[in-house]
Amino acid sequence: MSADPNKLAIFVTSPQNMLHVIGLANAAEKAGKKPMIFFTYKSIHLTKDPRFKVLAEKCGEEDIAICADSYTCEGYDAAADIPAGLSGKQMRTQAFHGALLDECGKYIVL
Amino acid sequence: MKILQVYRSEPNNDVKTLVGILNRDREADEFNLNVENPDYDQLVTKIFAADKTVCWW
Amino acid sequence: MESLKVYILVANRMYNDGIRSGLGLAVENHYAFPVIMNGEFPSFSTYMSENIAWVKDMEGQVYSCGAVAPDTCVDEEGDKLIAEISLQELGEAMRDADFIIPYGLPKQTNEPPPACAE
Repeated sequence: MSADPNKLAIFVTSPQNMLHVIGLANAAEKAGKKPMIFFTYKSIHLTKDPRFKVLAEKCGEEDIAICADSYTCEGYDAAADIPAGLSGKQMRTQAFHGALLDECGKYIVL
Repeated sequence: MKILQVYRSEPNNDVKTLVGILNRDREADEFNLNVENPDYDQLVTKIFAADKTVCWW
Repeated sequence: MESLKVYILVANRMYNDGIRSGLGLAVENHYAFPVIMNGEFPSFSTYMSENIAWVKDMEGQVYSCGAVAPDTCVDEEGDKLIAEISLQELGEAMRDADFIIPYGLPKQTNEPPPACAE
């Protein structure tokens, strides 16, 4: 698959950038671009922010996921406590980050 | 090659050195996220105008 | 799928998970180069050392930039698994990168308390 020039990868590695993630995702959408977002390591705490559900629903099932191992390592229950806005299919591995690199024409880390 | 440097916090000397090397002989732009109300629309425009974006800590 | 050259920069002692993230890309057939900046090393558990060795097996390399590579992370022959790279060399190498990922948070300016120093 070649990268989609209108798709913006947002790789979230920091737990303190929710405003930037939402601001960038909204701005991308406004500009006719499609955000694809992966939360890993300590950024998965952002799934507990009430704004996360809105973001997840906006992105859609194929284009937002979190690292299930990170979620478990940080003490959450990846089987019984899937974050609001996500399904079990969106509890992913680092391979989803690989998909971001492959599928998105543009990329940013937050 | 057009490169965009984005800063999430005030860049330290290491970052400044690396940015200097990365920008050498290239068209370079920058964007500061470490402000009260970042203009995310402008950031999206800059990201899509660049070939590569580096977003520093 | 094209194999991409990815540098993952770790500046904060709490974010050595960037090495695992690099390994995740290596197993997806990308070239991963996690770089630990200024001696912000993790504890070298068996899991962490194995990951570092695995990155190397997959034609990547974990680097130390700005500090001597530790001799507590070695292969079976006793050779260091982490290679040293200067800031200048790192900058030059990253000019050729497909992706540069400053991972997690910046370096802390205060010393960690005993509760989380180890």
